[in-house]
Amino acid sequence: MRGKAMNEKNQNRLQNRHSEHLLGTGTPMCAGCGGLAAIKEIYDVIGEKSVFINAAGCMTLLANYPFTPFRGSWLYTAMACAPAGAQGVRDALDILLAKGRLAAAEDLETVVLTGDGSANGIGLSATSGAMDRCLDFLYICYDNEGYGNTGQQASAATPLGARTATSRGPLGYPGRKKDLFAIWAAHRPTYVATVSPSHPLDLVRKLETAKNLKGPRLVLAFAPCPTGWGFDPKEMIEVGKLAVQTGIWPLKEYREGKVTHTIVPRPRLPVDEYLRRQGRFAHLFQPQRNEDVLQKIHSSVDAYWDAIES
Amino acid sequence: MEKDEGSPSLYRIRFHGRGGQGMKTASRILGSALFQEGFQVQDAPRYGAERRGAPIFAYVRASRDPINERGIIHAPDLVIVADETLLSIPAAGVLHGVAAATVLLVNSGENVESLQARLNVAGRLIAFAAEKEGLHDLRYVGAACAGAAARLIGVISRSSLEVAIRDELAHLGDAIIKNNLQLALGFYDLMAPHVGVVTPGRGISALDYRNPEWVDFPFEEARLSVPAVFAPGTSARLKTGLWRTERPVLDPDLCKRCSLCATYCPENAITLDRQGYPNIDYDHCKGCLLCVEQCPAHAMRTVPEHDTAGGRKGEEHS
Amino acid sequence: MKRILLTGNNAAAWGARLAGVEYVPAFPITPQTEIIETLAYWIDSGEIDCRMTTLESEHSMITAAGAAAATGVRVFTATSSQGLLYGMEMLYTVAGWRAPFVMVNVSRGLSSPITLEPDHNDILAARDSGFLQIHCATCQEVLDGILLAYRLAEHEKVRLPVLVNMDGFYLSFTREPVEIPDAAAVRRFLSGYDAENIRFRAGAPLSEAVAVLGGTLYSYFRYEMHLAALNGLKAFGEIAADFAAIFGREYRDVEGYRTDDAELVFVMIGSFATKAKEAVDRLRDAGIPAGLVRPILLRPFPRERIRNMLAGKKGVAVIDQNLSLGMGGILHAEISSALYGVAGSQPIVAGFIGGLGGRDISAEEFYQMANETLQAVEEGHAPPPRLLFAREELAEVRRMQQIAGVTRNAGESHE
Repeated sequence: MRGKAMNEKNQNRLQNRHSEHLLGTGTPMCAGCGGLAAIKEIYDVIGEKSVFINAAGCMTLLANYPFTPFRGSWLYTAMACAPAGAQGVRDALDILLAKGRLAAAEDLETVVLTGDGSANGIGLSATSGAMDRCLDFLYICYDNEGYGNTGQQASAATPLGARTATSRGPLGYPGRKKDLFAIWAAHRPTYVATVSPSHPLDLVRKLETAKNLKGPRLVLAFAPCPTGWGFDPKEMIEVGKLAVQTGIWPLKEYREGKVTHTIVPRPRLPVDEYLRRQGRFAHLFQPQRNEDVLQKIHSSVDAYWDAIES
Repeated sequence: MEKDEGSPSLYRIRFHGRGGQGMKTASRILGSALFQEGFQVQDAPRYGAERRGAPIFAYVRASRDPINERGIIHAPDLVIVADETLLSIPAAGVLHGVAAATVLLVNSGENVESLQARLNVAGRLIAFAAEKEGLHDLRYVGAACAGAAARLIGVISRSSLEVAIRDELAHLGDAIIKNNLQLALGFYDLMAPHVGVVTPGRGISALDYRNPEWVDFPFEEARLSVPAVFAPGTSARLKTGLWRTERPVLDPDLCKRCSLCATYCPENAITLDRQGYPNIDYDHCKGCLLCVEQCPAHAMRTVPEHDTAGGRKGEEHS
Repeated sequence: MKRILLTGNNAAAWGARLAGVEYVPAFPITPQTEIIETLAYWIDSGEIDCRMTTLESEHSMITAAGAAAATGVRVFTATSSQGLLYGMEMLYTVAGWRAPFVMVNVSRGLSSPITLEPDHNDILAARDSGFLQIHCATCQEVLDGILLAYRLAEHEKVRLPVLVNMDGFYLSFTREPVEIPDAAAVRRFLSGYDAENIRFRAGAPLSEAVAVLGGTLYSYFRYEMHLAALNGLKAFGEIAADFAAIFGREYRDVEGYRTDDAELVFVMIGSFATKAKEAVDRLRDAGIPAGLVRPILLRPFPRERIRNMLAGKKGVAVIDQNLSLGMGGILHAEISSALYGVAGSQPIVAGFIGGLGGRDISAEEFYQMANETLQAVEEGHAPPPRLLFAREELAEVRRMQQIAGVTRNAGESHE
């Protein structure tokens, strides 16, 4: 699946999608933004017959009066309640459809767009409620593993050991990354998937799957963040690839009670190759290796894949 | 606290640069140095929604009396431009409020007369080519500007500048402090011929002021006055290419037309032509250089922005 | 004591540090985040003995703050705009626990449309919650205000949480010289937290904030809170006197600047009030006897003081950096009500709405407000409220609306 090994059929598939793009240029996201790289791919699949319902986060600034990169619709709600906004829009569209006041061709896909801060924390109650009610919506979460828009403070998605603006001690963030995939899967929704902008074919296939299903669906996009994680913007895709190849970010999907790993890294690269690329983990290697924290990170990745592969 | 009537006692100084060029640090170094000299000081950065590479500014006020003015400086006594590419971007606001009494300090190799003519400014303009004077790492341009500005103001001693730099950069470690010190003091010395050219401006008189021309605010129906954008894709009007300091350039002879660059470009700034060759939209490319890094055929190379023919000159910010 | 350059956010962190706060429940929001980042850094580096917990929302953060205060530790927290409103249910709730703590609000305009820059609609939305409010005009006042706020909150006749407010950007990200008092001197002003009868202990069971059925009990508990808040006026005077004796800086519940012989008085809260001071000086240079009245304490409302300071003036220009939609400026209404019902001739009270969403107020606009207010005095009646909004701004909005695809019908002004 790596660039050089890409076969001709896949090449054509990519090429056809790049004669023009749907998401407009000129956004205020940082150069090399992993979240934006994922979302522009995602938007190509979802298309303009959609309404994006947004919660506070980096992507709130995508639409900044009088400028918007979207060709479809957009509604900013607040940090806690984007899924509730989606509920209102979806219910109203359904009422209009049922009463014949909206042609089927005018219907919209209801898409929630939030970062990990909202998805894992303040917005989780509203998300859980939307799943309880079997809301027909697609939730896109760009996971940059912290409150990126306010300067990368630790969120519930921050991984163990990462230095953030609120965990600047020698050990970095002491908590563990919340398993949002598992939390969603425990609700038994229609579809849950992880994606990474470094793996566009996997991403596009999963988005196409999600798009053709009804009910609650989550696409959790890995969003390497040059600004918040401390690496050069040009390395963003490499950081994404390493996250997958080291097994830190498993690419997988959940459907009908079953979890499938869509790419199993074999052999798995040493996790340190991923960590070393990023300033947020530099304190684990300098001035000397922090074996204790590194061991914990390694063993949690090993334990994850041992359970998958056994 | 009574003040002398209308006494010119308040310095108003503005630094312009790009996110990542240390304008906040520059303003803080200057602020600290003035504070060392016993001034009352106010310094602040100003940034909007845009990120690294985007035009930003920071400002400093200093006075022997308590400072009651706040917010953006509208009538600067000194404007420092760390990145001359900002001069052609009206939205960067570099020349906002620049009057005959304003001193303009520009990091540019262009000669003063041609700059003066191009910018159409009446006041004193001082150009310094930071790169020629030993500045090879743009991360230190802030320190260079602070050092130069300190000399132009004329009330800051070399030692106060040094103390300010050590204070403001204490968290960055000795090596970085050393580099900044060397540059800042070097540019401080370089400005010796212009020492004290900046004079504090007078406030605006309440006897003779421009009427703000408030409007009788009109009612407009919600379809007009809702904060909604009714047109698709309007963000393309924002020329984020202006953030760039380096650009990717394609060598078509090496290009294998694999389309990975277009796939990975976060900005959607690369499209493919009918033959499958990438087309780079320099109006919007932010210069992250992912395409250079990821191109399997090494068909993309990195070119510094000021080396490109014409550079940014002529590109307009709408 | 040392005097250094600090942003408002850093000054807030220093205030909390000197107050010896033991617990900081946190949640990031621009432009407040630097405060919790600074405290987190001090905690991580062992400089202060304090625990910080990042909650998952401001609703939870304010709940944890009140709960910890009710359990017996000194608590500090901070938020801004959307966060303050998201926690609004809990503002009212924890105030009723009568568990004192201090929360900084960094003012920022409210959604919709969402914005980052300051106005006072966020903090004024909390004015009826039971939290007392201190409004700061300088970074020094932010630090001092937090120390004053702990004394006020923990005062035995008050025992209510306090909000200390500063303007986003204009103070939060702006450095000014700030005197950082010695810890020992602060200890003389503010001793350790003594929650007295508010504490959960195995040996002394307590049921806090139990339900009431019926209006009688409800009225009793709520009105007691109101009386406690009013006690804050006298308490603030005592506390400020102690503060002045130890630190040499004098604070009153309402600051007056050149008001004694003033005929025209601006009324403002927050950091823009220093711009008004500058305007007062320039107006006096021009022969117009101007002054400034600036409430520092807004809850409790220093009605008597404001009345006395404005009595006998010809014109009052109230500048509201807020907008009660469908009514007008909130301060204008409060100041007018303070002046109503007093015998004798009252000043003309003109209302101006300005500085919404961080929009600057220029020196020229202060002069113009003074002139329009004096004009109204001549004519003998207050003018309708005015929004400070220039012709060229409207033209700019129109240009943006065209980009936004706003279509105007024939006859609708494009100007």
